[in-house]
Amino acid sequence: MTDLDAWQERSRAWLASVAPEFGREARAGLSQDEDLAVGRRYMAAKYDAGFSGITIPVEFGGQGLSPLHKVLFETLEAQAAMPIGYFGVSTAMPLPILIRYCDDKDWVRERIVAALKGEEIWCQLFSEPAAGSDLAGLRTKAEQGGEGWTINGQKLWTTFAQYSDYGILIARSDPALPKHKGLTFFWIDMKAPGVTVRPFRLANGDIQCNEVFFDDVAVADSQRLGPVGGGFSVAMATLMIERYAASDADGFGPPIGAFVELLRSHTINGRPALRDGRVRSVIARNHALRQGLDSIRRRAMLIMEAGQEPGPEGALNKLFSVRSRQKLSELALDLQGSAGLAYTEGAYTKADWAASWIGAPTMRQAGGADEMLLNTIAEKILGLPQDHRPDKGVPFNQIPA
Amino acid sequence: MLYDEGQHAMAEETRRVLAARTDRTRLLELLDRTGAWDEAFWATAVEQGWTALAVPEEFGGLGLGLIELGLVAQEAGRVVSGAPFLTYGHGAVCALLASDDEDLLATWLPRLAKGEVKAAVAFAEDDGAMPAAPSVEYRDGRLHGTKGGVACGLAADIAIVSASSPDGMVLALVDLGQASGDELQRRAIGSFDNGRLFADMTFSGAPATVLEAGDAAEEAALDLQAQMAVLTAHEQTGGAEAMMLAARDYALERKAFGQPIGAFQSVKHRLAEMYGLVEIARANCIHAAARQGEGDFLEAAACARLSAIEAYDTATRDAVQIHGGSGVTWDGGLHLHMRRARSLAIELGNALFWEDLLATELTGEPA
Ligand SMILES: Cc1cc2nc3c(=O)[nH]c(=O)nc-3n(C[C@H](O)[C@H](O)[C@H](O)COP(=O)(O)OP(=O)(O)OC[C@H]3O[C@@H](n4cnc5c(N)ncnc54)[C@H](O)[C@@H]3O)c2cc1C
Repeated sequence: MTDLDAWQERSRAWLASVAPEFGREARAGLSQDEDLAVGRRYMAAKYDAGFSGITIPVEFGGQGLSPLHKVLFETLEAQAAMPIGYFGVSTAMPLPILIRYCDDKDWVRERIVAALKGEEIWCQLFSEPAAGSDLAGLRTKAEQGGEGWTINGQKLWTTFAQYSDYGILIARSDPALPKHKGLTFFWIDMKAPGVTVRPFRLANGDIQCNEVFFDDVAVADSQRLGPVGGGFSVAMATLMIERYAASDADGFGPPIGAFVELLRSHTINGRPALRDGRVRSVIARNHALRQGLDSIRRRAMLIMEAGQEPGPEGALNKLFSVRSRQKLSELALDLQGSAGLAYTEGAYTKADWAASWIGAPTMRQAGGADEMLLNTIAEKILGLPQDHRPDKGVPFNQIPA
Repeated sequence: MLYDEGQHAMAEETRRVLAARTDRTRLLELLDRTGAWDEAFWATAVEQGWTALAVPEEFGGLGLGLIELGLVAQEAGRVVSGAPFLTYGHGAVCALLASDDEDLLATWLPRLAKGEVKAAVAFAEDDGAMPAAPSVEYRDGRLHGTKGGVACGLAADIAIVSASSPDGMVLALVDLGQASGDELQRRAIGSFDNGRLFADMTFSGAPATVLEAGDAAEEAALDLQAQMAVLTAHEQTGGAEAMMLAARDYALERKAFGQPIGAFQSVKHRLAEMYGLVEIARANCIHAAARQGEGDFLEAAACARLSAIEAYDTATRDAVQIHGGSGVTWDGGLHLHMRRARSLAIELGNALFWEDLLATELTGEPA
C-alpha cells in the first residue's frame, strides 16, 4: 500500500467513525446557528485527528502534506457531507496568504490553529456592488495617514461575514493610478469599530451572503499584506492557491444514478419513463459528459502523484458540470408530476432535485461566472486576445462611472 | 490512466510522419472517385507497423492494444485519415481471436499484421447498427442476403459478417477474393466521403466460415463493435482537435472591425466550448482504451463514442462558421473534416444507437 492509499484509508475510516455525530442525518432539522455549533465541534475533532490544514506547514499548525493529500481527503469529506461550508473560505485562501505576507509568525500560527479548529472564522472581502467579475473596478478606499490606514466603502456578497472574526480585504489606495495598480491588500478585524455586517437572503433562502460596510475603520500598517499598490497580485495569488480544490463531476448536484432511481417509479404516456427516448438520451449524454470530467480529475490526481503539474483541462469542471446539473435538475422536477412542485428550503443539493435546481445559478456565478471561465480558457489556454477594454491603462478616477 | 513515455513518443512520431506525408490535394481528389483510397497513407501505416500493433506476437504482431492503436487513430483523425483499414482490420483481428480456431488465426492474423489483407466488418442493416436477428442468413456454409453501407466494402479482402442461422446469430468470415461474381456483388455507394469505400454487399451463396455462434457470437460482435468504436472515437477526437486549432489560428489572423475576430466573444467562447468538448472526449477515449477487457468496457466505450461524436460535429460546424466564406470553398478543405465527421458519426452505430446502449447499461431497461 502506498503512502497515499494509506492516507485515503485512514481518512475514510475516520470520516466513517465521526459520521454518526456530524453527518447529514445527525444535523437534520437544526437551525443555522445550531448547525454552525456542530460544525465548530467537527472542526475541532478534525484538528485533533490530524486532518486539518493538510498543505499548511507543520510549524504553522498544519500537516505539511501535498495538494494531492488535500484533494483526496476533501473529496471524501464532501462525499460524507460534513458541516464544512462555514469554514470553506476561512481555511482555504486566507491562511496561506497570512503565511506568505505577514511578519508576525507567532500571531499567524495562533490565527491558523484557531481557524483550523473552527474557533475563529475568516471571510474574503473582494467583491463590491460595482466590482464582481471586474474585481479591479472596486471602490472601497484605503487612505494612509498617521500610524496607519482608514478604510471606507462597501463590500458585497461576503460569504459568512456574519460569523467572521477576521477578513482579508482588497481596497483602492491610489485612485490616480490605472485600476489594477492602485490596490492594496489588508487583513481586517471584523469586530473593529466602523465595520457593519448585514446578512441577506439568497434565492434559495440561504442566509450566507452579506453586505459589509466600512466607516472610518482604522487599520494598522502591520495589517497590510504585500506592498502598497501590490494588492491585485496578492488577490491573484490567493485565487491560484485554490487551483487544487476538490471538484465534483456532478456539479455538487445529484449524480446520474439518482436520476435513474427517481425515474424508476414514473411513467410517460403509460410506459416506463426509463424507456422514453428523450429521457434515455439525457441520461446517456449527461453520463458521458460527467464520466469525461471524472476521468480528467482522476488523471490530474495521477499526474500530481507523479510529481508533475496537471494540465489546464481541470478548469473545465465547474463550467460543464454545473450546467449539466442545472438542466438535469429541471428535467427531474418536470418528470415527477405534482411531486415536482414540492420544495423544502435548505435541503441538500446532492440529494434533492429542487434544492439542486434552485441553487445552480448561484454556482454559475460564485468563484467565476461561466462567461469569465470561457474567457480564461480562451485567453490562457488557447491564446486568444483579451476583450476590448476601454478602461485599460486609464487612471481609475478618470474612468466614467 | 497516464500514457507512458513510449506511448508519448509513439504519438509524436505518428504525428510527425503523418504531417509530413499527408497531402490535402490528394485527399480532395479522392472525394470525386469511388473505390479509391490514399495509397500513401496506407503504405505509411504498413511501413510504420500500425497494422501489427494489436496483433498478438505469436502471429507476427506487436502484442499491444487499444491504447496504442487509439493513439495512432487520433493522429490519423487529425489529418483526415486516407483509408479506413486500421479500424476494421482491428475488428477482424478481434473477431478471429474470439474464435480460438488455430488454423484460421494462423492463416489470417499474420497477413492482417503485415497489412497484406484488408478487412471489412458488416453488421449494420436497414433497421439498425447491430440487428439481433440479421436478415442476412447463414445456411450450409454459405451466406445469403444484403449488408448495406459497409465501410471498406469496396476494397476489403475479407469480411466479418453477422448473420442469422438455425443456431442463432453467427459471426462468419468471408474470403471475398474466393467468392465468384455470382456469389458476391459489391455496389459502390456514391457518398459524400468516398474515401471510406462504402458498398452495399449482396451475398448469394458466398462461402463463409463461422467464427462464433449463438450467445458467444452476440457477445463477440458487441465487444468488437465497442473496440472499433473506441478507435473511431480517438479518430474523431483527433479530427475535432485539428478543427479547433484551425479555427483558433484563423481567429487570431483574420481581422474585422479593427481587431482579430478571436477578440469577439461569440467567437472566443465558441472556441473555449470546443476545447472543453475535445478534452472531455479525449479523457473518455483514454479511459475506455484502458478498460478493454474489463466489466465496464462497454459503458466506457459508449461514453467515448458519444462525447467524440459531439466534439467532432461541434468542432467542424463551428470551425467552418468561424472561417467565414473561406470555410466553404473546395480548396480550403475544411469540408474534408465536415464530411469525415458525418461519415464517422454514421459508421459503427450512430449517436442514438450508443445512447440507447449506454442507457440500457445504466438503467437495466431496454429502449
Ligand atoms: C453565493 C455567492 C457567494 C459569494 N461569496 C463571495 C465572497 O465570499 N467574497 C467575495 O469577494 N465575493 C463573493 N461572491 C461574489 C462573486 O465572486 C461574484 O458574484 C462574481 O464574481 C460575479 O460578479 P457580479 O455578481 O458582480 O456579476 P458581474 O460581474 O456584474 O456579471 C454579470 C454578468 O455579466 C457577465 N460578464 C461580466 N464581465 C464579462 C465579460 N468580460 N465578458 C462576458 N461577460 C461578462 C458575467 O458573466 C455575468 O453573467 C459570491 C457570490 C455568490 C453568488
